Parts: sequence; structure tokens; C-alpha cells
Amino acid sequence: MASHTFWWILTIACVLWYTFVTVYVTIRGAADIRTMLKHLSFPAEK
Amino acid sequence: MTQFTWWDGSLVGLYLLVTMIAGIMVRKYVGKVEHFLVAGREMNVYLGIASLAATEFGIVTCMYTAQNGYQKGFAGATPGILVAIAMLVVGLTGFCIKPLRDAGVITIPELFEKRFGPRIRWASGVVIVLGGLLNMGVFLRTGGDFLVTVCGMDPKFLTLMMTALLLMVATYTVLGGMLSVLVTDFLQFIVMSAGMLVVTVLILWRIGWSTLVQTVEQHYGAGGFNPFLHADMGVDYVLFNTIGAFATVLTWQTMVQRVLAAKDSRVGLKVYSRTSFFFVCRFLIPGLWGIAALATLAPEELRQLLSPQELATLTAQQAQDRMQLLAMPRFLSTFVPAGLMGLLVAAMLAADMSTDSAYMLTWGGVIYNDILAPFRKKPWSERRGILVNRFIVACIGLFLLIYGLWYKLEGDLWSYLLLTGAIYVSSMSTLLVACCYWKRANNWGAAAAIVAGAAIPVLFLVLEKTPATAELAKKIGPNISGIAAYVFAWLAMIVGSLLKPQQQPTNPKAVS
Repeated sequence: MASHTFWWILTIACVLWYTFVTVYVTIRGAADIRTMLKHLSFPAEK
Repeated sequence: MTQFTWWDGSLVGLYLLVTMIAGIMVRKYVGKVEHFLVAGREMNVYLGIASLAATEFGIVTCMYTAQNGYQKGFAGATPGILVAIAMLVVGLTGFCIKPLRDAGVITIPELFEKRFGPRIRWASGVVIVLGGLLNMGVFLRTGGDFLVTVCGMDPKFLTLMMTALLLMVATYTVLGGMLSVLVTDFLQFIVMSAGMLVVTVLILWRIGWSTLVQTVEQHYGAGGFNPFLHADMGVDYVLFNTIGAFATVLTWQTMVQRVLAAKDSRVGLKVYSRTSFFFVCRFLIPGLWGIAALATLAPEELRQLLSPQELATLTAQQAQDRMQLLAMPRFLSTFVPAGLMGLLVAAMLAADMSTDSAYMLTWGGVIYNDILAPFRKKPWSERRGILVNRFIVACIGLFLLIYGLWYKLEGDLWSYLLLTGAIYVSSMSTLLVACCYWKRANNWGAAAAIVAGAAIPVLFLVLEKTPATAELAKKIGPNISGIAAYVFAWLAMIVGSLLKPQQQPTNPKAVS
């Protein structure tokens, strides 16, 4: 029974963590792309 | 009857259009080989997380992790937990990865040259490309299998689907290299994650947690929840996967490439530690889909997945493996409603395209950087270097198409991937650890480890395929032979290095 609880907690953790990371990475990753392309356009800025 | 409608097709078409435009647009930023292979080392943490997650989750991943769920229940997600632990430990400690990134190399074999000389660099490049391309060889067909089954298409369209998918991926990868890969990975991560989460929530809501648990209980008993109690797993399975997880995290070039493209080692380590839990999701979420297929599909429904002609060419075990591989896409084809089906197909296309593009670029990078290194007597111009890289990536695409059409998978997919991976990671992880942390390591030990690491998996394959020794191979099993590959590689490195008379390394300060 303890193993059932372990997998239940892990499944819920996966869904919640993955949802949070998807939203957060979408916002922060877009900024990362902008910075990366800016540095590659103007290496001196780096 | 599948639920794929014109609306779903439009959604998939829109996703493909946006991806292609984004992938091709960034090609103008590629001015140097370093831009093409490691994005000018300008990748920051969150783009790195999206790229690492998207790269290491393809349709092939979804298929074998779902097959694991179908065959082993929740315990089938054990390798995912082990990879997550390995990645977290390496990300927090910087073990091997920090000196690798600080050395400023583009590939792992380039680091080996500093300690073991140019011949070991070349041999390592060959082993990495051989293992990597064989591993990737089944991606296209598996992806095509999934899409044809989910969309309810005629199987004769499989070749057409594979070719079209590869052409799109090859176009933006050839033009933009790592920059296109990173930008499209980011878009693909969003689409892939949205699709996976929606389908998982739908399964938990409509089928229910208790049904999934009861199904596993009924089919596998306590072994479906505990890998040590499962008939097909046990201590040797967990031990082999634990060693494999650490070795993979350290030396699987497509993973390591994200660290090498990072701004610095600090960013690289953050990418590893913050992406680690994704590897639990990567096994457990499709594993749930596989368990849901087990709960809802009747055995006679599974038999319909194979044509009489296909059944005639397979042994009973092979037919069972093939049916269990196709169970999850078959389940999804009837379970996911119209409208959401488009999101699912777009998500899986995104997963597959991000994996294919990163893998093509990575193995191409090793060919250019390490295998062709002896042929560059004088440094090539950046323009020529980029041109050669583009040609290599295009050739890899062609190889994948031919291999994917020709090679028929025997046995279960995870075993194939473990075997082709073991040819490379057992020796390369030994070399990397010794290169970074053992002062006595030298080229004798490195050469011996490469031979031993590749010989054991190949020897096991020969034993398996030879009728006279097939029974012995079955008794040994893939887990023991896999562990043996690592042990022999370690021993070969130690004995080989100690046998060589001591002398000063070529550049002792090159590696910390």
C-alpha cells in the first residue's frame, strides 16, 4: 500500500511540477532567446 | 475509429508552419562554426532547460516508456527516477561536467586529446558516432509508427510520413545549426508539454487513478510497483540502470552539448540540476499512458494491430513486443477526442522534430570536430567549416532515412536503445572520469577501455544470435552483460594505464 502512495505522490508531483516549469520556462526562455540573438548580432555588447 | 479531423489537421499544419519559419529565420546569425555547433556559447538557463527536455523526449522515448508502463506497471518508470537522481547529483557537484565545460571544448573527444592524444580522440569520435547513429536509427520508423496508428492512416503512408518529417527537420538544422535547434526546441517544448499534460490529466480524470492501480495490481502484483519484486527486473536491472544513468548523464553527447553551449559552467550545471526532475516525468507520464492502454484494450484488439503478413514474419515473442509497443498509440487514437487530437499529434511531432534535429547536429558535430580532425592539416575558414558541417548533417539525414526504412526492430525497443548506447557510454564514461580525476590515466588505458566497452555488448549480441549459445545468453541476460561492459571498461582503463611506463602527460595542466 505504501508503494501505491509513493507512485500517487510522484504522479501528482510530475503533473504539478511540469505545469509550473512549462509556464515559467516559456516566459524566461523567450527572454533568453532575445538576449542570445542580440549578442550574436552585436558581439561587442557582450 | 480515430478521432483525427480537419480541425486537428489545421492545428498540426499551423504548428509545422511556425516551427519552420522560426527555424529558418535564425540562419542569418550563423557566422562561425562555433555558432553552428554550440550557438556561440550564448545559451542561458531557461532556454537550456527547454532544449534539454525537448531533445531528450522524442516519439521514440514516448513509445518505449509507454511500453515499459504496459509491461512493468509503475515500476517501469524506475529508470527515469535513476536518471533524475544522476542528473541532479552531477548538476549539484559538477562532477566531470564542470572541467569539461571549463576546458572550452566543442565535443567530449576533443577533451580526450589533451590527456590521451589525437588517436584516442579520433577513436572516441568513431565510437560515439557509431553508437549514436545506431541508437538514432530507429527513431524515424518508431515516430512514423506512432503517427500512422494515432491518425488511423493506411500503413503504406509510413514511408511518406517519415520522409516528409525528416525533410522539414533537416532543412532548418542544415541552415541554422544549433541556433535553429535551440529556437525550435523552445517552441517544441511548449507544444510538447501542453499536449502531454492535457492527455495525462484526461486519463487521470476519465479512467481514474484507482483503475490504473487495480490494472497494475491485477497483471503484475507487487512487482508492478516495486522494481526489486518484478519478475523481469530485480537487483541487476536496477544496478545496470543506475550505472547507465550516471554514465549517460556524463557522456551522452546530445545531453552534454547543452552544457557545452551554455554561457559558462555555472549555467551548464544549473541546466542539469533544474531539468533533472523532468526525467521522472519523461518516464512516468508516458508510462501512465501505457498502463491506461493495458487497462482499456482487449487482447483481441491488440492482435488487430499486426497484419497477417507481419505476424507471419515474427516469432511469438517479437509479435508480443510489437503489439505492446503499438498499444499506447492505439489506445490514444480512440481515447483522445477530436480537437485535442490535433494538440496531441502536434505535441508528438514537436517532440520528435526537436530530438531528430539535435541528434543530427550532435553526431554531425563529432564527425566534423573529431573524426575529420586529422584531415585538417591547416585550419579551415569559417565559411568552409560551416559548409562541411551542413553537408555532414544532410548526409546523416539521408542515412537515417535509409536505415529507418531498412532496419526491422527485433525485441523490445528499450533493450535495443540500451545495447546501442552501452557500446559507447561504458567506455566514454570511463575515459571521461579518468581524464578528469586520475593522474595515472594514459592512452594505453584509454584504448583498452574503448575496446573492452564495445566488445562486451557486441559479444553478447553474437551469443544471442547464435543458436548454439542463445540459451547461455538468455541465462546471462542483458543486465548482467551490461554491467560487465562497465566493469571490463574500468578494469581495462586501470590495467592498461598501469602497464604503460610512466611519463609526463602531453599537457598536464589542461584538465583540472
